[in-house]
Amino acid sequence: MIDEQMAVFVGSGLRLAVPIIFAATGEMLSERAGVLNLSLDGMMLMSAFTAALASWATGSPLIGVAAGVLVATAVAAVQAVLSVTLRANQLVVGIGFNILALGSTTFLYREIFGPLSRDPIPGFAQLNLPWLAGIPVIGPALANQTGLAYVSILMVVVTWLILKYTSFGLAVRAVGEDPRAADKAGISVAKTRYLGVLYAGILAGLGGAFMSVADSNTFTENMTKGAGYLAITAVIFGGWNPWYTLAACLLFGFATALQFLVPALQLDVPVALLLLLPYLLALVAIAGLVGKSRQPSALTIPFERGG
Amino acid sequence: MAVLELSGLTKRFGAFTALDDISLQIERGEVHCLLGENGAGKSTLCNLVFGVHRPDAGTMTLGGEPFHPRGPAEALQRGVVMVHQHFSLVPNMSVAENLMLGRASAVLKPQDIIVRMEQLAAEYGLEIDPEARIEDLSVGERQRVEIIKCLLGDPQLLVLDEPTAVLQPDEIDALLAICRQVALRGKSVILVTHKLGEISRVADRTTVLRQGRIIETVAMEGADIRSLVRSMVGRDVQSAGSVLAAAVDIEGKTPAKPSSAAGPASPGEAVLKISDLVYRDPHGVPRLDGLSLTVGTGEIVGIAGVEGNGQTELGLILAGLAAPSAGAIVVRGTPVGGRTPQEITDAGVGIVPEDRHAVACIKELSVAENLYLGAIGKFSRFGLLDKSARRKAAEAMMRDFDVRASSPDVSMASLSGGNQQKAVLARELSLDPLVFLLAAQPTRGLDVGAIEAVYNRIRAARDDGLGVLLISSELEELMAVSDRIAVIYRGKLVGELAAGSFSREAIGAMMSGHAHV
Repeated sequence: MIDEQMAVFVGSGLRLAVPIIFAATGEMLSERAGVLNLSLDGMMLMSAFTAALASWATGSPLIGVAAGVLVATAVAAVQAVLSVTLRANQLVVGIGFNILALGSTTFLYREIFGPLSRDPIPGFAQLNLPWLAGIPVIGPALANQTGLAYVSILMVVVTWLILKYTSFGLAVRAVGEDPRAADKAGISVAKTRYLGVLYAGILAGLGGAFMSVADSNTFTENMTKGAGYLAITAVIFGGWNPWYTLAACLLFGFATALQFLVPALQLDVPVALLLLLPYLLALVAIAGLVGKSRQPSALTIPFERGG
Repeated sequence: MAVLELSGLTKRFGAFTALDDISLQIERGEVHCLLGENGAGKSTLCNLVFGVHRPDAGTMTLGGEPFHPRGPAEALQRGVVMVHQHFSLVPNMSVAENLMLGRASAVLKPQDIIVRMEQLAAEYGLEIDPEARIEDLSVGERQRVEIIKCLLGDPQLLVLDEPTAVLQPDEIDALLAICRQVALRGKSVILVTHKLGEISRVADRTTVLRQGRIIETVAMEGADIRSLVRSMVGRDVQSAGSVLAAAVDIEGKTPAKPSSAAGPASPGEAVLKISDLVYRDPHGVPRLDGLSLTVGTGEIVGIAGVEGNGQTELGLILAGLAAPSAGAIVVRGTPVGGRTPQEITDAGVGIVPEDRHAVACIKELSVAENLYLGAIGKFSRFGLLDKSARRKAAEAMMRDFDVRASSPDVSMASLSGGNQQKAVLARELSLDPLVFLLAAQPTRGLDVGAIEAVYNRIRAARDDGLGVLLISSELEELMAVSDRIAVIYRGKLVGELAAGSFSREAIGAMMSGHAHV
């Protein structure tokens, strides 16, 4: 009984962590390059909606994911133009995008699906990998995930490799820390930052699409529920390090999953309080840790070449 | 054969012509010095060659081919490299990572860089640990990393913009030796400086710039240093005396200073007394480590030291911008350590801060507003500002201190650096009461005329009985103005010399922690 509940808890915790892992990993790279995408949540929401729509229209969840990523990347491209080329305030731009994303997805959803749609959307099946299922307690939870969930972990590895072993990664770190020095070393600050933001867009797109076509097989209004903000928090919590950021994402995922575990164990804790937990945790994490980990020096500061 | 040829280069910034019709040839294998005062256009010229700025008129050729770099990347590609006044190193990355920046293949190959670093170490004596993080290195070591970065790609032309300003004497010698080594290997070096002492030691030829124009280009063999100085400042050398000698760093030619010799022979009672001052920065690193110092009335005490040895922190603490971790500071019986700037001002302390732009003035406000920044209430009646009274008072103060601006209402930003500094001095020296003045790097970035005015003001304040603490990275300046020089090293005073017994060598040795005198 307990084992079964633990399996459900671990499974749902992982499932809830996946979109945040995607978004936070991309965002971490972008922030290392000096651009903060507060629009992350909007990118995810737009991708979730577009993925649902495309999957519903074509019957192929894969096309859904592709469409979602495309839209999120397009949003990221506009964000990059505004915050890199036009040197607009990154926070204001991000907030604007989030409001736009919430408004437009809600409107389009009601127009296209109707206000109370219960249409299931074609989604991915769970893979059920036998070699993972053999692990005691958490095995079934690890094995019963869609392919995208494994991709999210893969992306953490890929991002870590990029930052540590490629010259693009070195350029990203330099541009986020000291863009003037990078510029004088012959690196294009704008190009590096564009690529960073687009990378964040692609991953946020994967995270958003995961929510609608891999996790819930439906779209609901404001379905990200601030997952993008949690991802940004996870980056800070993780000290701009890919592995610590992953750990922070998992923490948020499991904190959210407590809302399923606690009632199942018949503990008398209000569910509303549990829903609050990840956000509360995020606040505590940032308040307690932001002083210790050092953010990229040029984060949110637009670069202008001077004498 | 000329490596770089400039003809008719002109560069304007708005209405200001920074460079006017510059024509110049840099030969292969020569060390070519660019000499000029601040604002003469030396840095602008370097930035044109390195592609940071683009000329408004004129042409450049490199190795006989047209050369019009659109950015540093293109200049680098053509074999032109530059060490800037402000280092272009990412502080939290390792030496090797910094060296790979912008030139590595898709996947980083740290081993290749380390091999190349060993070659350069053998060729030029440029040794440095590839794994060391930049933020842990000294200024001299960081500069060495910059030079290695430049030499990695086997360049044709190495441009050094004021490279010696931040170095201590023995590091300067090492740098100049490296310049000769680079030239010996058939590369060309452009060395920007305003210090003649260095030029006579290293240059093959020297070009003198003044107000954006070339005054002359001379071969250094048998050149007359005095005539170079004349070209540089545009007036006779003798008249400027010790001030000029200090500003251009002519070694051994500093004339005796009548001013300090004639000054009050014995300083009076102590006006500033610092005992066992300790300061730890927010990371817990000790910046001041038991510093004790006394400044008497009517004396100028100079603090000499390589930057980063605690003098900046000392200035901040005296100004009330940082609180000491331990120790006492007393001004005329009033403890001021850890007090607010307002309380410190009330105790009779005037402050000329090191960072003129960030701390001393608000550039967007008018000159009059800046002059009375600390005394806004003085010109208010019934809570309303009496602007015309303030204007009148400001005009008088500007006249007294020779602050040149078209009106007290123009913004501080529109003034030259020298006039900004004179305005700051005017404000601080007009405080009442005033018993002590701290002047931190008071002549940084100023031209010779303004430097002279600042020195005269400081000396006059001393003669009026003020105690003055002068913190400066310019040894010649300290020797020209101070009655006493104390040397700071790693947050402690390690030695002291009285006027008349100043020697560059002794102070330099103490600055680098080598000897106690």
